[in-house]
Amino acid sequence: MLFSSLTFLMVFLPCTLALYYIVPQRFRNVIMLIASLIFYAWGEPIYIVLMMLSIAFNYVCGINLGEKEDNSAAKKKSLIFAIVVNLLILGFFKYYGFLVDTLNSILPVNIPYRELPLPIGISFYTFQAVSYVIDVYRKNAKVQKNILNFALYICMFPQLIAGPIVRYVDIEIQLRKRTVSLYKFGSGVKIFIIGLAKKVILANCVGEIFNEIAGYQMGSFSVLTAWVGCIAYALQIYFDFSGYSDMAVGLGRMFGFEFRKNFDYPYVSRSITEFWRRWHISLSTWFKEYVYIPLGGNRFGKAKQIENILIVWMLTGMWHGAAWNFVVWGLYYGIILVLEKFVWGEKIQRQPSWIQHMYALVCILIGWVFFFSPSIGYAFDYLGTMFGIGASAFLDRQGVFFILSNYLLFAVALLGSSSAGDNILKTMSMKIRNRKIRMVVISSAHLILLFVTIAYLVTESFNPFLYFRF
Amino acid sequence: MVEAVERKGGSERNIHCSISEVMKYVICFAIVVYVAILLIFSSGSRKSFKEVEKPLEVSIDSEKMQNVGVQGLKRFYGLNAADYEGVLLYNSRFNLSAEEVLMIKVKDDDQIHQVSVRGKFVFLSVGKKADKYKEIFSNNL
Repeated sequence: MLFSSLTFLMVFLPCTLALYYIVPQRFRNVIMLIASLIFYAWGEPIYIVLMMLSIAFNYVCGINLGEKEDNSAAKKKSLIFAIVVNLLILGFFKYYGFLVDTLNSILPVNIPYRELPLPIGISFYTFQAVSYVIDVYRKNAKVQKNILNFALYICMFPQLIAGPIVRYVDIEIQLRKRTVSLYKFGSGVKIFIIGLAKKVILANCVGEIFNEIAGYQMGSFSVLTAWVGCIAYALQIYFDFSGYSDMAVGLGRMFGFEFRKNFDYPYVSRSITEFWRRWHISLSTWFKEYVYIPLGGNRFGKAKQIENILIVWMLTGMWHGAAWNFVVWGLYYGIILVLEKFVWGEKIQRQPSWIQHMYALVCILIGWVFFFSPSIGYAFDYLGTMFGIGASAFLDRQGVFFILSNYLLFAVALLGSSSAGDNILKTMSMKIRNRKIRMVVISSAHLILLFVTIAYLVTESFNPFLYFRF
Repeated sequence: MVEAVERKGGSERNIHCSISEVMKYVICFAIVVYVAILLIFSSGSRKSFKEVEKPLEVSIDSEKMQNVGVQGLKRFYGLNAADYEGVLLYNSRFNLSAEEVLMIKVKDDDQIHQVSVRGKFVFLSVGKKADKYKEIFSNNL
């Protein structure tokens, strides 16, 4: 089931909310858990068993770690076992085919294998499970003895299938005790509506431009068209993913949970270091807390720090997909981050703001080419076209047509991807002096946006989130 | 907590084995069994579309069914054959019959919406011999 589907909006969500608020407070976690299991089983009736086994395994591992407080060696062994099993499960479903394909292409062998579809959300809920066992080991969190609360943490439907990755320490208290209020509920609804509109209206519309351009034969389009395609993809993936994250945050608030924001206008960044503090914040936080710091971080000299950065970014790339272009994408960012830290970071910071911004945007757009390309060869061909190598011309009618027929969409999308859009709307709303009238106008605007979005949904068919494949 | 006494090399050792310690291995084993069942009953195949298509096509009753190809896929399902790695669509030569065989190999998992799914192969069959066609499809993966 998708958030951007009529079944979810008209049936699942209203029923879940109604039941949630009707039952006594002590049963709310149960309602949410049942709803989450139904939500997941709707799309993955087979793989729900895997998720439940993962929940049971990590729940038991948590208790096991708690029992070994007096024996640090045994405790460490148990932690390693828990992490290895979690990563083996993720590795098998996600990377087994990739590994065998790679071996088949490098070695003179033809190892056959049976292929299984990737369970939706496995990257997200496995990382959450690992975060739990590590937090318990480090004594940053208490062992969760209530299996229903633990299951709810792992499979809570707002963030189950495409994040944000919620660290256990951030939600431990909320599982036991959280406040609900009309204000919180209303703010959750507003954030949800904005997220839905970002996905259904903006992401899908710019996505059509990208899909059109991506279907062209290499060498048949111009430099301009290549850049238009790349920018369209950058906007699509931002609105798609941040829209989903907004929906997750909004839904969480409707049920009384506070999740951290996952995006903070990443395209206003003036360096790649800043970009990764604003893009998919929960993932970079996870890798910093559970991989970079345990590897030693920056505590053992420059060479070790560089090695740690590259390892983290290679893993970040691999997390996004079992293909070499994702590994290259991750390493690309790892190398730029190292260069910013040790070579040209300070020089960049001394430049005017607009130069810093352009530098960051060019680096980000080049990165997205590796991300959307089906292969490394295609990525280099596309990049070549963007810089004039193999392009049909510098300008062509297609590129101009895309810009002229979608200038309003691009303008709205560019504004929406920066805090400027938000500031403009806030300034406009503050012109209404009367607070009550202002609230009515803002609420009405959100309702109109919701109706327009639903109208788009009614006319569209299947529209998955890009990040589902991770 | 389960306690046992182990004799080793003439000395005794108490082994403390908590329920959680046992359960984590039991659940691990359950996961392995579950994955094995998945691999046997719902995994896909790395075979090419042509390799699976041939034996299926041979078994289809060509007197009653016809290959409607790319145009048929667009007309009846609104799908573009170029979007998929391989497409096979047979339907009945007779308007009143609902017999049909559709097999699609998708390029990525996002394209899978419905019916019998084995890895990247999507199979639909309607009619008296549907089970037979499905069996042939499954056996040739």
